[in-house]
Amino acid sequence: MKTWKLVLFLALLSASCKKPYNPSVVNSPRSYLVVEGAISTNDTTVIKLSRTVNLSNGSTVNPVMAAVVTVESDHGLTYPVFESTTPGTYKLYAGPLDVSQRYRLRIKTSNDNKEYLSDYSVVKVTPPIDSIGFNLTSTGIQIYANAHDATNNTRYYRYSYEETWRFHARYSSDYVSNHVNDVVPRTVDQRIYFCFAGNKSSTVVLASTAKLKEDQLFQAPITEILSTSEKIELRYSILLRQYAMSAESYKFWSLLKKNTEQLGGIFDAEPTELTGNIHNTADATDIVIGYIDAGTVATKRVFIDNSQLPDTFRATYPYSGCAVDSNYYINPLTGANQVLQNLVPELEFTLYGIFSPGSLKPVGYGAAPRECADCSIRGVTKQPDFWTTN
Amino acid sequence: MRKIYLASFCFLLFLQAAWAQQNNQKLFSVNFQQATITQFVNELESKSSYHFYYDQAQFDSLRVTLQVTDKPLSSVLDLAFKKTAFMYAINQNGQVFLTKGRAIRTDLAPGYTHLKGNTPETQLPNVADYTAEAEKKVPVATTENKLYEIGIKTNTIKPGKAILSGYIRDIKSGEAVTGASIYVANTKTGAATDAFGYYSITLPRGHQVLSVRGLGMRDTRRQIVLYSDGKLNIEMQEQINSLKEVKISGEKVANVRSAELGVTRLDIKNIKQIPTAFGEADVLKVVLTLPGVTSVGEATTGFNVRGGAADQNLILLDGATIYNPAHFFGFFAAFNPDIVKDIELYKSSIPEKFGGRLSSVLDITNREGNKKKFTGSAGIGLLTSRLNIEGPIIKDKTSFILGARTTYSDWLLKLLPESYKHSQASFYDFNAGISHQIDEKNNLYLSGYWSQDKFKLNSDTLYKYSNKNANIKWKHNFNNKLYSLISAGIDRYQYDVSSSANPVNAYDLGFNINQSNFKADFTYYLNNKHTLNFGLSSILYKVNPGTFEPNGPKSLIAPDVIDPEKGLENALYLGDKYDVTSDLTISAGVRYNLYSYLGPATVNHYAPNLPKEPNNITDSVKYGSGKFIKSYGAPDIRISARYLLGDNLSVKAGYNTLHQYIHLLSNSTSISPTDVYKLTDPNIKPEHGDQVSLGFFRNAAANTIEMSVEFYYKRIRDYLDYKSGAVLLLNHHIEQDVINTQGKAYGAEFLIKKTAGKLNGWMSYTYSRTFLRQDDPYAGEFINEGKYYPANYDKPHSFNFNGNYRFTHRYSISFDIAYSTGRPITLPIAKYEYAGSERVFYSDRNIYRIPDYFRSDFSIIIEGNHRVHQLTHNSWTIGVYNITGRQNAYSTFFTEQSGVISGYKLSIFAAPIPFINYNIRF
Repeated sequence: MKTWKLVLFLALLSASCKKPYNPSVVNSPRSYLVVEGAISTNDTTVIKLSRTVNLSNGSTVNPVMAAVVTVESDHGLTYPVFESTTPGTYKLYAGPLDVSQRYRLRIKTSNDNKEYLSDYSVVKVTPPIDSIGFNLTSTGIQIYANAHDATNNTRYYRYSYEETWRFHARYSSDYVSNHVNDVVPRTVDQRIYFCFAGNKSSTVVLASTAKLKEDQLFQAPITEILSTSEKIELRYSILLRQYAMSAESYKFWSLLKKNTEQLGGIFDAEPTELTGNIHNTADATDIVIGYIDAGTVATKRVFIDNSQLPDTFRATYPYSGCAVDSNYYINPLTGANQVLQNLVPELEFTLYGIFSPGSLKPVGYGAAPRECADCSIRGVTKQPDFWTTN
Repeated sequence: MRKIYLASFCFLLFLQAAWAQQNNQKLFSVNFQQATITQFVNELESKSSYHFYYDQAQFDSLRVTLQVTDKPLSSVLDLAFKKTAFMYAINQNGQVFLTKGRAIRTDLAPGYTHLKGNTPETQLPNVADYTAEAEKKVPVATTENKLYEIGIKTNTIKPGKAILSGYIRDIKSGEAVTGASIYVANTKTGAATDAFGYYSITLPRGHQVLSVRGLGMRDTRRQIVLYSDGKLNIEMQEQINSLKEVKISGEKVANVRSAELGVTRLDIKNIKQIPTAFGEADVLKVVLTLPGVTSVGEATTGFNVRGGAADQNLILLDGATIYNPAHFFGFFAAFNPDIVKDIELYKSSIPEKFGGRLSSVLDITNREGNKKKFTGSAGIGLLTSRLNIEGPIIKDKTSFILGARTTYSDWLLKLLPESYKHSQASFYDFNAGISHQIDEKNNLYLSGYWSQDKFKLNSDTLYKYSNKNANIKWKHNFNNKLYSLISAGIDRYQYDVSSSANPVNAYDLGFNINQSNFKADFTYYLNNKHTLNFGLSSILYKVNPGTFEPNGPKSLIAPDVIDPEKGLENALYLGDKYDVTSDLTISAGVRYNLYSYLGPATVNHYAPNLPKEPNNITDSVKYGSGKFIKSYGAPDIRISARYLLGDNLSVKAGYNTLHQYIHLLSNSTSISPTDVYKLTDPNIKPEHGDQVSLGFFRNAAANTIEMSVEFYYKRIRDYLDYKSGAVLLLNHHIEQDVINTQGKAYGAEFLIKKTAGKLNGWMSYTYSRTFLRQDDPYAGEFINEGKYYPANYDKPHSFNFNGNYRFTHRYSISFDIAYSTGRPITLPIAKYEYAGSERVFYSDRNIYRIPDYFRSDFSIIIEGNHRVHQLTHNSWTIGVYNITGRQNAYSTFFTEQSGVISGYKLSIFAAPIPFINYNIRF
C-alpha cells in the first residue's frame, strides 16, 4: 500500500498541472485606447491614457501624449487636465468639486484627432476606512479592511494600496572599499544592512456589501503575505486607498478581474467582452477600454511589526550562494594580497575583520557576494518620511 | 447440447411439396474460414430457407474452409464434406440431414407410397427422435428441439396468420433480455424484444422455427406449431465466450435492418472493457468515444451530441431524469457500473415517446436483479469502492437489486501540495430496484436513485449537490397485440453552496429543481406491417431558482429568495413503424408538445423591439397560483426510412424536430454544479431544432463487422446564451441578461465495429462543425458582430479507436486512442497596463483553438479461474490512462503574475495515470 501511495502521489503531482503556454503570435490589427483613472472631487484627478500593444511587444508602455483632456460637469463647468511630466499621465487639482453635480471626461487625441467621451458619473462619497488588520492563515497573514456606511449607500468598494517594508541583507557589511588600496569601516550613512522597499497593488481588489442587510464591510480581504516573505521580517506598512463605486463601475471592475486574474480553473468562467463607459463620439463600434467614475478617496496607513507575528515565521533570503569567504592581506598559503585583489574592486563585499591575537588592524576580512550584503540593490536605505518606529 | 429431431415421414409429407421446386436450385455464395458447424449451418440457413438437422457432438471436430460462388447446396456440401466421413441428405421440403458415416434416405421405402395423402395432423405429437438412445439425453422442457404447440389446438391448421408474444429471459438470473431478436427464416420476418424482454411477432400458422439471438447470449431456437394467437416465453443462456466460437450480437442485423439512424446501444460488457482514468467502468466516458459525441474537456461529463449543448441531452436512468450525471468534479459518472445493464444513445432518430431535449436521449437501463438466487459483487479501487447485492424476494417472480458507491479520496487530496491540500471531495450514490411479476399480464417495477456530492476547492466554500429520483412503472399486456407501460415518478436535483469563514458574510445558497412526471406508453402490433406506438407524457416542473440566507447568528446577509417557477410540459404522441415491403420500412410519428408557464409569478412585460432592460419594462403583472400564464404548443415530427439495397446493405434517411422548455445557463466552460436551470416563460422562448440525416449501413463477414456512414445537418433556434458579465445566480430578472442564439451543425460520421471474435471493438472518425450566432437586434449587444462563431465544443476532426483482444478466457487487453482537434478558445490579442498590472484584451469569441487532443489508454483484465462452483469469482483490472503522458490542454489562460502577463495551459491528466481495481462476484 505504501508504494502505491507513493506512485499515486507522484502521478497526481504531475497529473493536474499548469504549464506555461505561448501560442503562436496572435496580434491585433488595431490598437485600442485605454483610459484609466477617476475623477476625484477631493484629491488630484489622475488620468492615464495609453494604447494597447501587441502581445509580442517587449514593453507594454505605450502612452498617449499631447491629448486634450477635460473634466466636464453636467452644470456646464469644464476643468482642463494637463499632462504631467510622466508621458500619458494627466493630472488636475481643481480644488474640491461640487459633489452634487455629475462629471464626465472628454478626451481629444492629437495624433488621429478623435474625440472620446465618458458617461456622466454621479459623485460617490467614500466612507472612511474603519480599520485595517490581519488574520493568520496556514500560509502567512491575510490583511483585511473594515468599513461601513451608516446610510447604506456605498455598497461597492474598490481598493488600491502601497506597501512599504523594512528588510535587511543576509549579512551586515561593516567595511567599505576606499576604492584605492584598502577597506575602511563604514560610516552610519554608508550602512547597507537595513533598507526599505515598496510595492504598488497590481491586482484588482473589490468588495461588496450588496447582499448584506447593512452596509458593513467586515474583514474584506486586501492582500496576503507569506510567512516566509521578507516584507514582514521586520516591519511592514500598508497605505490603503478606498474608493466607493457605482454598481456599473463594480461590474466593469469585476469583469476586468475575471478576465485577467481569475481564469483557467475547471469551473472558472470564460473571458467575456469588457465594455466600459467611454465611447468614441463619432464611431460607436470603436472599442475603448476603461471606466471613469467620480468620487472621493479615503486612505489609511497601518504598520505591522514582526513582534506581532508568530515566532515560527521565518523569511527566506531571496539569493542563494551566500557563503562567507576569507580574504587576507597576506594569504598564508599563496602570499597574495586578497584584500587588494577582491575587496577593493568590490568583487566581494567586506563583512567583518579577522584579527590575529594581539593585532589591532585586521589581518583579513570575511566577505560575501554583493547580493548577500547589500540591501540597496533591492531597496533604498533612506527611511521614508511617513515611517514610524514602534 | 444440441440434439436432432427427426420428423416422421408423414410429417414431412404434410409440408408443402411445392417448396422444393423453387428452392432446390437456390445458389450459394459463401466464404468460410475455419467455420464451426454452427457458423456453417447458420450462414446457409440465413441465406435460404433450408433447415439443417444434425447432432452437434458428431460435428464438433469439423472446421470448414471454403469459398464458392453461385453453387447449389449439394455442391457446397460436397465440397465442405470432401474427404470426411460426413454425409448429407436433402429432401424435397428443404430439410437437410447431416450425419456421420451413413446418409439418411429421404425417399420412402417402396411399398409405403400408399400413405401419401393421409391426413398427418393426428400424428404430429408423435415426433420421434433420431435414435431411441439419443432421446434419453434430451433435456426437459427448455430444449430447442421440443415442439411447442401454441394456441388452441385444432385438427387442421387454419390458413392465415397468428400472433406470438412473450418474454425472453436469462435462464440464470431470470432477468429480461433486451434487444434480443427473433427471426423466422421461412417467412423472413423478425422482431426484437423491448426493454422488458417482451416481443410480439405475427407469423403464418403452422410449423415454424424461431431463431433467437441476444446480445451476449447463446443463440437458441424454438420449434413451434402455431395454431392461433399465443404466448411463448423463451429462456436464454449467457454466452460463455469460447475463443473459437463466434460471438453473436443481438444487434447483428439491426445495424442494416432497423429503420433507425444514429442509434447506438452498448452493453455494460463493452463498457467495462474500456480503460478509464481511475479504473472504474464509466458509462459516460464511453459515450464520448462514439462518433458525433464531443466534450469540452476531460474534467466534465457534460457531452455534446452533434453540435448540441450539454443541457440538450435527456439523460434517463430507468426513466428518471438525471440533471447532474457527474461526481467528483466530473471525473466519475453518476452511474454505478455494477447496476447498469446497457445504454442506448439516440442522436438522430429519437422515438416519439421521448421529447423535451434538443440533441439526444441517453437511455440508461439498470438490471432488474437476479430472480433465481442471491448474488452480489464488489469492486475496490484507489479512489472508490462499490457494492451491489441482488436476489429474489419471491423466486421467479420478484427480485431486488441494491447498489452503493462511495469514495475515500480525501487521503489523496491531503497528499497534495499546500495549495491543494485544503480541498475536499466526497460522494456516494445508491441505487435500488424491485421488479415484480404480478401475473402473466402485469409487471411492476420500482426504482430509486440517490446521489450526493460534497467538495471544497481550496477555500472555505462548501459545495453540495444531490440527485434524488424515484419512480414506479406498471407494464400491462392487454393482449398479444397491445401492451402498455404506465409510469410515474419524481426527480429532484438540488445544490447548496455555503461559506462560514467570515462570520458577517457567511451565507447559505440553495437551488433545487423538482419534476413530477407521468407517462403512458402503448405499443400496438397492428399487423405484420404496422407497429403503432402512442401515448402521453406530462411533466410538472417546480424550480426554486435560489434562496440566499445568512449562515450563523453574526451574519448580516440579507435573505434573498428568487420566486419559484412552475411549468407544465404535456405531450401526446403517435408513431407507426410501417414495413412497406420487405426492403422498405418507414417509421413516422408526431409528438405534440404543449408547455405552460404556471403561476404564481410576477411577469415583467417589455416594450417590443427594444432590449430587455430595466428601463424598457412597460408593465409588471402578478398572476395567481395555478394560473396558466403563457402556453407554447408545437408539434415534433419524427420520420425515418430504411431501404435495403442488398442483404447486407441499406440506406436510411431521417428528419426530426424537437423542442426544449428547460434551459441551462452556465458561464463556465464545463457544466459546473452551480449552473442555473431556467424554465421557458413569457420572456424566454422555448428552444427548438431540427435535423436531417442520411446514412449507409453495411454488414460484412457474417454480420461480425458493421460499417456505417452517416451525414447530418442540424439547426438550433433560440438557444440561450448570456450577456458579457451576466450574473446568473440569484438574478431576479434573468431575461435581461440572456440572449437568444441560433446554431447550425453539420457533419459526417464513419464507424466500423467488429462485434465478434478474439479482437473486437470499434473505430470511428467524425468530421463535424458547430456554429452559433447571436444576431438578435434587440438583445442590446452582439457577440462577434453578429456573425457565426464556433461553439465551445466545435471539434472538426475526431478519431476514436477502442479495441479489446482476448488471449484466453482469463486474460484480455484493451487499448484505446482518442484524437480530436483542440476546442475553440478566446485568446488575448493585445495587452495594456491597468490597475498596476499588465492586462490582456481578448479577441472575438472562440476564434482560436487549443492544441489538438491525443490520448491513449491501456488495460489488462485478469479474470480469476472459471470453475463454476466456487464461493467467489474475482477479477483484476490494471492499466494506465494516458500512456504517452501527453499534456493535453484543458484550457489556456492568461493571467498576471507580479504585474506581468503570462500564458498558461491547464492540463487535467498531464501524466500517465496507473490504476488498479479489484472486482469480486459472489
